[in-house]
Amino acid sequence: MRWRVPALSGVPAWLRWATVASTGALFGMALYVARISEAASYLSDNPDTCVNCHVMFPQYASWRHSSHAEAATCNDCHVPQHNVLARYGFKAMDGLRHSAVFTLRREPHVLRAIPASARVIQRNCVRCHTRVVADVTGPHAATDRACIDCHRETPHGRVHSSTSTPNAAVPPLSPPAPEWMMLESRR
Amino acid sequence: MEPSGPRSRMVLLGWAVMVGSAAGVLALGLLATTITERRAERRLASVQFVQPIGEWEADNSKWGVSFPRQFSSWELTRHMSDNTRYGGSNVRDYLSEQPLHVVLWAGFTFAKDYSQARGHFNSVADVTATKRVSATTPATCWTCKSPDAPRLMAKMGVDGFYAARFADLKGEVRNPIGCADCHDNKTMALRISRPALIEAMQRMGRDVQKATHQEMRSLVCAQCHVSYYFADPKTNRLVIPWDKGLGADDFDRYYKEVGFSDWTHAISGARMIKLRHADYEMWSQGVHAFRGVSCADCHLPYRSEGGVKYTDHQVRSPLYNVAASCQVCHRWSEGDIRQRVYAIQDKTLELRRIAEAQLAAAHLEIGDAMRLRATDLELAEVRDLVRRGQMYWDYVAATNGMGFHAPQESARVLAKAIDLARECRLQVNRIRARKGAVEPLAMPDLSTRAKADAFIKPFVEAQRKAGVASNSAARSGAPLASPSPERASR
Repeated sequence: MRWRVPALSGVPAWLRWATVASTGALFGMALYVARISEAASYLSDNPDTCVNCHVMFPQYASWRHSSHAEAATCNDCHVPQHNVLARYGFKAMDGLRHSAVFTLRREPHVLRAIPASARVIQRNCVRCHTRVVADVTGPHAATDRACIDCHRETPHGRVHSSTSTPNAAVPPLSPPAPEWMMLESRR
Repeated sequence: MEPSGPRSRMVLLGWAVMVGSAAGVLALGLLATTITERRAERRLASVQFVQPIGEWEADNSKWGVSFPRQFSSWELTRHMSDNTRYGGSNVRDYLSEQPLHVVLWAGFTFAKDYSQARGHFNSVADVTATKRVSATTPATCWTCKSPDAPRLMAKMGVDGFYAARFADLKGEVRNPIGCADCHDNKTMALRISRPALIEAMQRMGRDVQKATHQEMRSLVCAQCHVSYYFADPKTNRLVIPWDKGLGADDFDRYYKEVGFSDWTHAISGARMIKLRHADYEMWSQGVHAFRGVSCADCHLPYRSEGGVKYTDHQVRSPLYNVAASCQVCHRWSEGDIRQRVYAIQDKTLELRRIAEAQLAAAHLEIGDAMRLRATDLELAEVRDLVRRGQMYWDYVAATNGMGFHAPQESARVLAKAIDLARECRLQVNRIRARKGAVEPLAMPDLSTRAKADAFIKPFVEAQRKAGVASNSAARSGAPLASPSPERASR
């Protein structure tokens, strides 16, 4: 037989309350997840956000010890900057991919840029260093060689590994629960 | 079972809502668990302490347990390699190298002993050994020599610390300049531990807490590598004289206004300022500061070991490690870079030597005018000129880097010193001529430290006999132009 969604008027009061309560519970749980995952921080351009997960510690530490730390944030290079739609669209796709891989524990020990990311990076190198590369025309421009194919040390260094930055000085996360509930504040 | 009526359909729907939200909460709960777990991993992957470090832990080896690379590179500041042409970390007796300094500082402790400071590891040993320290030396002199200083300030209060005697704290201050001087014990972030810098910045309307990381990489050095003086002989409070600015001209106006002097010169009777090393100040006027290059960028360059990049804590002249410091930006050969640095320094030294010869002559000629019974009133202006000229000279002379940190500014300041000394000599020789001495004053042989020592000795003894404890009289706050008692009687 065919199911029909019953008219709200036909739903008994207990079921209406139960539905509201279950939805509330679900929503509350979602809020908690948003809180401990620092979800709101992903809207910003603050490099601190990129080390919400420890997988990015080597990239953060090597960037911070580089001259680029004075001029460019993570997003300046790794997210398209030509318009706001491309910016947030790419950021959302990249972020969801990262969080999916991370949640499933499929992250490799050595991180490499995927082709889509490499294209964004190349575009952003040129975006700031326009004057430097203004003369690079003709056969050089015709190759598919990217800036970082030669400038391999810039800015993250040559050795990429999850263990290459022991004792990385990274900013702390905000506490998952109010301070007074945390063990550390009791000490 | 067939759903037969609206009632049983409601029951089924009720089950569906419950199972659905239970599944939703379960899924979110599992997600929350993995997030919590990965947050814990994050903590393991960041700054790791083999053992926790206490607040104001002064023992550097306790930090070294958790940060072996930084610690062992810091330990190397113990070693003395060969000196660079004008600096380095080896023992260097400045008074033997520059005997005229003995004359310029006649009557002050600097004329007794003035040696190059060795590396940070030796700071406690060096300050204990210098002949400038005596029974009356205040504890303020410990301020920049050890991480025990902020520890004791936390314990005794800042005023209590400054009010103590140097000798009182000898057993308490054991650890040389190290980790706690610049680092927070929990996060390892850079932090200012010395109140004098915070106060000086406040007086300029700046909040140190708001400094960026790159600014902090210079400001932690500026806690000690700045000019300073002890403002009041009763409290011995450490003051960084930045109220009017960081330049030599700003210092000139500042000291004129506060009327401070370190001592009365034994030969000329001028109330002098011993301007201390204006390292941060000089750097801030140079091209490197303009381009945002911090102290740490050159003096604590990054080092790679395997895949690990860390800050080399062997603080020293970049000329020992041109590849890791200069060549990161300047793509010339090491030899070219070294030559460029030495060219700047050689020229600065040439100017500096001209200035000190003029200043020494000025002191001697004022002394000769006093012998010819010129009055303090007559000499007030020339004494002020030599006081100011020598302050300008010291702004470069006392500062590390022999002009390299700001070449044009160093040259300009030395030009001012020479101009003031020349003006002083012009005027004092007019006074000498009025008293009958028309011939130029014959300059004594001051080519060695021993000769200079012997030359100033009778002046220093006469000053002592006149009963003027140079420091206390000089700091009494009397106006500069007023006659100093030991000279009025001569």
